[in-house]
Amino acid sequence: MTRRILALCLLHALGGNSVASAQPAVSPVNRFASEIGTAEASATRGDRQDAVARARRITTNYEQQGARSSSEHTAAGRAYVLLGNGNAGAVRSALAAFDRAVAADSGNLEAQRRIGALFLEKYNAPEARASYELVLKRAPTDVEALLGLARVEEFEGKGSAMTTARKALAAAPAHPEALTYIARLHLDAEAFDSANALAERAIRADSTRMDGWSVLGASAWLTGDSVTYRRALRAATALQPQPSAFLAGLAEAAVRQRRYAEAVRLATEAVRLDSASAHALGVLGTNQLRLGDMSSGRASVERAFALDPFNLWHKNTLDLLDKMRSFRTVTRGRFEVVAPADDAELLSLYIIPLLERAYDSLALRYGYRAPTPVRLEFFRQHADFSVRTVGLLGLGALGVSFGSLLAMDTPNAREQGAFNYGSTAWHELTHAFTLGASAHRVPRWLSEGLSVLEERRANVGWGARTTLPWMLAYRTGRVRSVSQLNDGFMRPRYPEETSFSYYQASLFCEWVEITKGARALPALLTAYRDGADTPVAMQHVLGLSMSQVDAQFDAWLQQRFATELQAVASPSGADSTGGAFVMTMRVAVGLLETKPDSARVMLERARGMFPSYAGDDGPAWYLAQAGLAARDTTQALHMLAEVTERDETALAANRLEAELRQRRGDLPGAAAAMERVLWIWPYTAGDHEVLASLSTRLGDHARAVRERRAVIALRPADLMEARLELARALAAGGDTTAARRELLSLLEEAPSYEAAQQLLLELRKTGGVQ
Amino acid sequence: MSGCNAQRVLRRSALLVALSVWCAPSAWAQRTHVLVAAGLSGDPAFKARFSNAVAAVRSAAATRWGVTDSNLVVLTEDSATYNGRSTKENIGAAFVALSKRAQPGDVVLVLLMGHGSGEGTSSKVNLPGPDATASEYAAWLAPFGKQQLVFVNAATGSGDFVPVLSAPGRVVVTATRSAVEKNDAEFLQHFTRALTTDDADVNKDGRLSVLEAFRFARAEVIKSYESSNRMLTEHAVVSDSVTAMRIAFGRTATSSDPRVATLVAERQALESQVAALRGRKASMDSTAYDAELEKLLLAIAEKTAAIKAAGGGR
Repeated sequence: MTRRILALCLLHALGGNSVASAQPAVSPVNRFASEIGTAEASATRGDRQDAVARARRITTNYEQQGARSSSEHTAAGRAYVLLGNGNAGAVRSALAAFDRAVAADSGNLEAQRRIGALFLEKYNAPEARASYELVLKRAPTDVEALLGLARVEEFEGKGSAMTTARKALAAAPAHPEALTYIARLHLDAEAFDSANALAERAIRADSTRMDGWSVLGASAWLTGDSVTYRRALRAATALQPQPSAFLAGLAEAAVRQRRYAEAVRLATEAVRLDSASAHALGVLGTNQLRLGDMSSGRASVERAFALDPFNLWHKNTLDLLDKMRSFRTVTRGRFEVVAPADDAELLSLYIIPLLERAYDSLALRYGYRAPTPVRLEFFRQHADFSVRTVGLLGLGALGVSFGSLLAMDTPNAREQGAFNYGSTAWHELTHAFTLGASAHRVPRWLSEGLSVLEERRANVGWGARTTLPWMLAYRTGRVRSVSQLNDGFMRPRYPEETSFSYYQASLFCEWVEITKGARALPALLTAYRDGADTPVAMQHVLGLSMSQVDAQFDAWLQQRFATELQAVASPSGADSTGGAFVMTMRVAVGLLETKPDSARVMLERARGMFPSYAGDDGPAWYLAQAGLAARDTTQALHMLAEVTERDETALAANRLEAELRQRRGDLPGAAAAMERVLWIWPYTAGDHEVLASLSTRLGDHARAVRERRAVIALRPADLMEARLELARALAAGGDTTAARRELLSLLEEAPSYEAAQQLLLELRKTGGVQ
Repeated sequence: MSGCNAQRVLRRSALLVALSVWCAPSAWAQRTHVLVAAGLSGDPAFKARFSNAVAAVRSAAATRWGVTDSNLVVLTEDSATYNGRSTKENIGAAFVALSKRAQPGDVVLVLLMGHGSGEGTSSKVNLPGPDATASEYAAWLAPFGKQQLVFVNAATGSGDFVPVLSAPGRVVVTATRSAVEKNDAEFLQHFTRALTTDDADVNKDGRLSVLEAFRFARAEVIKSYESSNRMLTEHAVVSDSVTAMRIAFGRTATSSDPRVATLVAERQALESQVAALRGRKASMDSTAYDAELEKLLLAIAEKTAAIKAAGGGR
């Protein structure tokens, strides 16, 4: 299939096809006015055949006779839009007709708005923005242009969409489209009450619009309000007897609440009702892929793309699926690892045993077993991971969970030391359990909080910890309360707010466990599963209202971090310079070279001020350096341990700790530090060799074998030597059969390899070889 | 003479054909000549890189392959070191001298490094003073029809040397596939590592074939680019992989001790049997194949142990 994106930005240059250049607007007559209105009404009703027939009559007439007025050009453009499904030429003609309409009458704001809408519909946000801005220059309060601009901002991922939409509503408080749009933004942010209220207002303003009923229906469906849902469905069916669009909208809403299986079911029904709906096919295919149904998903997306060849999401997805054909799948136990071949071999050595452990642990804690096999996809290019997740580039996340399908970056998709792929995988698998245990009803903030909490439980140092920026944000009131925490994820006010919200949510989960016991968290999930919203769930499980939750949790935070909060408080009040702690650190670091003893004293003081400091740039790290400089390895190790126990990406600190411990004969400690290194950056063969050697000395032959296999997976320069070391490790672990198999295989290729011959003879002596 | 002793053993052995290979009189079964020429570096980093490569190859030639000083010529941009400056005149003279020394069957390795320029027959490696073109190198190589000649141009943009210099029985290796690939190339450092360590000796027979060295360097170049997420901008080329597989550097197992020589010959015969067995693998039952393979490999291992016990080397 040829997959060529036709950039609409070129369309202006291409111009129309057979229509004569725009004639002067001699009269405001519009011969097509009635027909285009009827055609669009047919389309809204779902009578695509009638809509297309009428649109064709208009465009034939237009192409043969031209237009007599700007409004006729506009009507012709609208007709072409109706013909645009699977017809890129019609889309181009629509744009050309709208352009002519504007050329004929620069005051034709409708045509200008439709240009904007068409560009946006075809994913060209800059051109869309330019069109809407032209309208707003002439009419600053034009409601539809403001709404169009809000949609552009939403498309661009800007946080200003709501503000712009509110401007539109301020200009026309009963404008049904504005009300519906804002209702939908509330729905996306899981603010269901607001979404319902606005959708009801939109319907009161105009009950013949499908979009109002769609939002109301989606909100009702998501919250389990079956009465309202049935009312919305009835109304939608009255407007469109085969309500494909309503169902596709519902499917999209289900996706936003991470209910992917239900989204597929709804989208399947939408496609059944309208098999030519690119929108429904796209939603269906995207979510089939998210559930791991790769062949059906691909087929659906291909069908969608054939109908809408401008769709960047689908184009990107299909390109990625082509690329993934060269990926390798490693299936073991309850997991499938899908990754570029080299990564699959290497990463599966570590990630599958980790996930098996995670699965057992999470199943026990949450009383739920995620469907297996769980598929984990790794992407070496972050852009590919981003496309796999949202169809576009630019996603900031490290990993994603669609339930039993997890996707994430490989460690080398990011800079060395940028993230810990073990904790990330554990985090994403936790979502599979918390989503499943709540029937996908758990709100985003709580799901993330649980995942971070589980990371911290999984291994020493894993999971988000207390950082200075979080502490400053908390102190200055920039971290949201529990009742508002979902907005920290869905509508962050500043770039760091999302990461702060992760940590905040995880602290809430800790607080729940401490104050209400270990069963409270699974009980919250059960409450959501049974239809409770957050206030009801909190009341039911914790016995607290939301305001009580906010107050009590905040009091707990104040108490827990009393020392730190005092240390970062600045004398001048609410600024965020970091107070005495930052001042002390700054002075201490400045003294390290010249007055190391004074520096150590000050660093110890800073350490006491912020005892929970996590990160490899705090007092402990500098004290470790100072300890090393003073040849005080005991102190250095003590401080290094403090760093590595709190920072899951402390690559340098872990390497240093391993080296020091090995030097002091603490082999188990050295091996543990190397193990942590490998969860951050598994691509250095030397690290694996060190751990293999340590493991052999410790008698941990299974780990030695794993490490030798890792060296081989890294395609070492001397592969034969690496294979011999594997055979040695296998033999040392008593697996003489595997050792023999490995030896024979390598000697088959290199029969003269003396060291391997020697091992073969040794194995014969010990009975491993016949 | 040790050769005669070997011949007597041969007559008592059923391995006449195999053993006839091993009756060379010295520890080095073949004579190897090496000519290394490093062009202008133009930059301290490149100078260090070329100097390291020159030193490593020179050392490996002397210690690992047994190349005598008289058969080892190194020319660099500095006249004070090694055998003089790498001018066009000196390189030409070195080829002439080499053509007089090299006997039929000898291995001759020519290694050029530096920055390439030009294209086609006018491809060059930048030298102090006038540069020599690929055509001129071709002319210098003409007298080496009876030697096993390996010409390696590890310079950037070296690819056009292949069509100009290729000839039957001769191996030409270049760091790039055309003169267009002029970005800084990594091939030299990996090819040097191949020549100077055991890493590239895939079959671990103690001898490094040109093909093993080439494949090693090419694989390491690719790995390096992949690991740093860079697009591969250098594609090494070997002109004749069959000849490249046949020509090798390093010691051949020989001994003046007839007992060792016999054991070595027997081991080589067993290795040949392994090769033959591998050829039949597809048509054999896997269990039978494994059993036969294991038997042969154990026999080889025993021979090696016996050679060692008898005071032999590899």
